[in-house]
Amino acid sequence: MSWYALWGALEIGLIYGLVALGVLISFRILRFPDLTVDGSFPLGAAVAATLIVMGWNAFAATLVATIAGALAGAITGWLNVRLKIMDLLASILMMIALYSINLRIMGRPNVPLITEPTVFSVFMSDNLPDYILRPLLILALVALVKFALDWYLGTHSGLALRATGSNPRMARAQGVATGAMVLIGLALSNALCALGGALFAQSQGVADISMGIGTIVIGLAAVIVGESLTNSRRLVFMTAAAIVGAVLYRIFVALALNADFIGLHAQDLNLITAVLVTIFLVVPLLRQRIRDRKRP
Amino acid sequence: MLIAQDLHITFNAGTPIETRALRGLSLEIPTGQFVTVIGSNGAGKSTLLNAISGEVQLDRGSLRIDDVELNRMPVWDRAGMVARVFQDPLLGTCEDLTIEENLALAANRGERRGLKRALAPQLRTECAERLAKLGLGLESRLGDRIGLLSGGQRQAVSLLMAALRPSRILLLDEHTAALDPRIAAFVLDITRRIVAERQLTTLMVTHSMQQALETGDRTIMLHQGQVVLDVSGEERRRLDVPHLLKMFERVRGETVSDDALLLG
Amino acid sequence: MKWTFPSLIARIGAKSRVHQVATAVVAAVVLASVTSPPVHAQSVAVTSIVEHPALDAIKDGVKDALAEAGYTEDKGLEWQFQTAQGNTAIATQIARKYVGDKPDVIVAIATPSAQAVVAATKSIPVVYAAVTDPVGAQLVPSFEPSGTNVTGVSDSLELERQVELIKQIVPDARKVGMVYNPGEANSVSVVEQLRSLLPGMGMTLVEASAPRTVDVGAAARSLVGKVDVIYTSTDNNVVSAYESLAKVGNDARIPLIASDTASVERGAIGALGLDYYEMGRQAGRIVIRILKGENPGEIASETSDKLALHLNAVAARKQGVTLSEELRNSAAHIIE
Repeated sequence: MSWYALWGALEIGLIYGLVALGVLISFRILRFPDLTVDGSFPLGAAVAATLIVMGWNAFAATLVATIAGALAGAITGWLNVRLKIMDLLASILMMIALYSINLRIMGRPNVPLITEPTVFSVFMSDNLPDYILRPLLILALVALVKFALDWYLGTHSGLALRATGSNPRMARAQGVATGAMVLIGLALSNALCALGGALFAQSQGVADISMGIGTIVIGLAAVIVGESLTNSRRLVFMTAAAIVGAVLYRIFVALALNADFIGLHAQDLNLITAVLVTIFLVVPLLRQRIRDRKRP
Repeated sequence: MLIAQDLHITFNAGTPIETRALRGLSLEIPTGQFVTVIGSNGAGKSTLLNAISGEVQLDRGSLRIDDVELNRMPVWDRAGMVARVFQDPLLGTCEDLTIEENLALAANRGERRGLKRALAPQLRTECAERLAKLGLGLESRLGDRIGLLSGGQRQAVSLLMAALRPSRILLLDEHTAALDPRIAAFVLDITRRIVAERQLTTLMVTHSMQQALETGDRTIMLHQGQVVLDVSGEERRRLDVPHLLKMFERVRGETVSDDALLLG
Repeated sequence: MKWTFPSLIARIGAKSRVHQVATAVVAAVVLASVTSPPVHAQSVAVTSIVEHPALDAIKDGVKDALAEAGYTEDKGLEWQFQTAQGNTAIATQIARKYVGDKPDVIVAIATPSAQAVVAATKSIPVVYAAVTDPVGAQLVPSFEPSGTNVTGVSDSLELERQVELIKQIVPDARKVGMVYNPGEANSVSVVEQLRSLLPGMGMTLVEASAPRTVDVGAAARSLVGKVDVIYTSTDNNVVSAYESLAKVGNDARIPLIASDTASVERGAIGALGLDYYEMGRQAGRIVIRILKGENPGEIASETSDKLALHLNAVAARKQGVTLSEELRNSAAHIIE
């Protein structure tokens, strides 16, 4: 693997780290199975790309994209809380609707950004090649987002959010308006995913309608790989672990792309990635079992 | 002061499993009074508590706490006035949160939850002090996840949480029923202490007639969704379980056959 | 670095000693695998967005063209092929990997892969293939020599000739129906062009969208009674599910005209289509020019000129059309 590919894995991994944080909030903290992310990730890309092509400042476009994601999440929450639609179903409905909405926003299925200014353009310099600069910039942003999230979850509002997911009946008895918390939590989660989508489009040079497919799977894989890294339930570590998990997953893909020396082919890429992730999760468990059996 | 007037609640109305849980129940609890509630299964005890806390809506009747009409208020809006300890120790606390995080939640019961830090140092000291009074050593385990505690310990913490901030009424829903006798006695003891200390208006549902007579100032008995017995003061002090039973039979013309009620 | 690593892991609460070791091993493997690429005589890296008979044919065409010109793996050619399994994130990682490997030429098949590669490098020569609208996709500024590192072969079809074919097969056609995936850039581009082209030739376009392959049949059914003929492009969804389209055409006696020759066997009356293998060879010829030293920025983008007319007389009968002698004579292949 070249350094270039490794930096690429880091860059994409950090962007998906934002998605992992979003999935952490919805799946783990709120206990809300939210498939909206398959729609809000490309929503962020669609909004940002369309605005940039229209001439907007890239930062403003990215901000609006993030807000659009929040709105999408809030609608899913509203479908669940107000219209009493089951959580998974509400998120699927929103995900389906967003496909058409995203197409409408872009006006076509594919909006290229290769020749457009992006949030990265401002920072381009001759001192550092852009394939190193971009991941470093994204790292700074993701770190900022992580610390902001950690801070929020430590506030009264954040605690109420956690209680809503952990024990909604008890939360209500403590005066938490759980319906409102669900909306806030989903808005936050999908805002992060949309931000990821906006950055991804600007990083890879195009917003494409199909780029959302499988986002939830990648997000969950990242969260789970992250959880296997640390036993601690402290939020500060869980958020870090989710981001690390996302990066690790992309590194696994990069490693898998280099596996042709074993005689594996291009078609085997998905299989190889799955195997690598599984090994990472299971080997420590197996060795522990062997150790236990050896004990007298 | 809690005033319940002519409460009617029917579940599954119009179906073969229709249940008329409350049938015109009326009750007045003056501020500071500790009332125990007994009754056989299906008498309406839990429904009464759920009606007060807001988890169940009234079909007819009115419920007021200090002139505030509770009728359409959702659970979370009433929480400032109504504190509750559930029967199931797992229900009253958030398993994934630590002891101090649970207490921090309870410390803001009924208040706006903004962006200030939840685990402020002031709160931590207050919690440590209060926990120490329980005598369970929990004040040194503030950072432990509450899921690690035993049922009795969690119930004790739930009680503490309910009393952490003032309430207009404290609802205790058979909160010792799921605990083994020694722990149950311990929790009941804490209950008496805390209620006396804070002069809390309390409504305690219990499965045991003995416990009902020995705790608090007044005992009411529910049967088929109505209050059929209401004793307090001197009359109550002179009562024992067999006498209580006779009174019930006289009022209702029926025999009480619920074993748990008798043997408790 | 290793003596601080375990303590760092321990502080964040990693599970067991075994797990710490596993983490350290993974990290070591990753770092050890980061090397400079080995040196070959020439290297060509090829990527496509999905595995697809048409796209695979392009890859084969490139490889064969190179072999015939003397570039084979025995003679020191390094050849790489990866597909992105339909996933844009993987397409991007493949692009990054290739750029890091510093090949002599990258061949990118289909629009999403081409965009990922072009966004990733401004120096390594890129030859795109099977991109219908390379200008709209921002791969090149125009079909003239780009002046950048990008050139290639576009599979855009001259739509006038396609419409002529429609008129030859169904002379009285007034309403032309089109089933397509609104999420595929190439198809949307064709639809837009037809919408403006058809009125000038006395016809109108009626659209039916099929966002997923399973929607193709339903989309076709929605056109029954509203159109005189159904035309389809090289839309991936339609090509994958052509049988469901054929069923509707046969049941409702609506003539079907496709854009790729393989669909003619599957139920279309006819298609004036590209041979994707030939397109691959065409791209391969551009790759050879670059390997020999030409600057990609000086090579104009090409379209494929090798069109072949395939006809299916059986389908024609089922769908209520008689094929004229003239048409039969100009066909390269007829199914009876």
